[in-house]
Amino acid sequence: MIEVKLKCFSQVKYALGTDEMTFELEDGITCSELETIVRQTTEGKLKDIDLRIAINQEYVKDDTELKDGDEVVLIPPVQGG
Amino acid sequence: MIITPKELQNWIDNDLSFTAVDIREDAQIKDCPILGVDHVVAKVKSIPETNNKLVLMCQFGIVTEGIIIENRLLDTFSLLGGIEAWNAFYSDKRDMSRWSRQTILQEVGLEGQKKLMDSNVIIVGMGGLGCPVAQSLIACGIRKLRIIDGDAVELSNLHRQPLYGIEDIGKMKVHTAKKRLQNLSKKALIEPVHSYLDEKNGSDLIKGATVVIDATDNISTRKLIDKLCKRSNTPMIYGALYRYEGQVAILNVNGSVGYSELFPVDSSVADNCSEAGILGMLPGIIGNIQALETVKLILDIKPNLVGKLLLYDGMNHTTQTIKL
Repeated sequence: MIEVKLKCFSQVKYALGTDEMTFELEDGITCSELETIVRQTTEGKLKDIDLRIAINQEYVKDDTELKDGDEVVLIPPVQGG
Repeated sequence: MIITPKELQNWIDNDLSFTAVDIREDAQIKDCPILGVDHVVAKVKSIPETNNKLVLMCQFGIVTEGIIIENRLLDTFSLLGGIEAWNAFYSDKRDMSRWSRQTILQEVGLEGQKKLMDSNVIIVGMGGLGCPVAQSLIACGIRKLRIIDGDAVELSNLHRQPLYGIEDIGKMKVHTAKKRLQNLSKKALIEPVHSYLDEKNGSDLIKGATVVIDATDNISTRKLIDKLCKRSNTPMIYGALYRYEGQVAILNVNGSVGYSELFPVDSSVADNCSEAGILGMLPGIIGNIQALETVKLILDIKPNLVGKLLLYDGMNHTTQTIKL
């Protein structure tokens, strides 16, 4: 098992109701699989929102494998100005 | 009291009687002698007594201001920006003493100030982000600024768009903004464009820009700015807001990541400020970060946000800087 920390911003933060969450996950899990878990947790509140993924302050591809201790950010586009 | 290089030149031109005193250490005097003004050299404790007005000069005008306040000296002036500013003025008649508090920064200096003054900045959108960006850039010495917006001022704008007042409701934002900004700098060349940026006018409107500021409130215009900047190899300072949060990045610098790579998939996005709600301070914070990054980019001050995305959360003041 690995433990990763999710930092939440914008729509992700409001959908989850928190700005930080910790997940215990199976070894070998990828970013996109974590994203799916997050989306399921939010009961459709993130439907149709494309999220970019960063691990440890760096953009990564969806199929990047997560490691124990990683800090993940799911980044939604925002448009206000 | 303070005297600017230009005012001192007027004294000289009008033969006004004064005594200029260079209070610097010998090494500084040797490295940077005063040009074109008769003066005496004296240590702080032995400043000559005179019936003339005294003009105290140090390297940057900071030490002399302190001496005058501390000793409550009457009829004594501190040269704003110091000998650095005076010599620059003497050489090319540009009085940059107004910016002495920023030219004293090693990363800015007088050469940096000249770069800022010679830059050509374009702001797309004169709403919540555009107002603070424009104010800060004009205040810091940007001389050429084109502001683009087709909106008129509305009552609901006023809590977050401090360039506009009650009496401006119904007036075009760009014309009102120009009027307010000219109060900060009469010499700034501010060109108001009362129109929305679109495919038809876009190329012409961003032509010649040193940098384009994205201060829009919608993703389609943001994508258009990105496309135009990419095509013309012009840096774009991206900024966007959501409730208590903001995002800032410098995009399209010599092939660096653009908005289309930052968010490549069209998706249903968060509401804009009118729908999601916003406190007026947030655009002030994010707009000023955009202005700061603009200055850093022009002056090549690093680290900056080229190839990085800053996420700011104003609720608990956390940030993330993501490498793109």
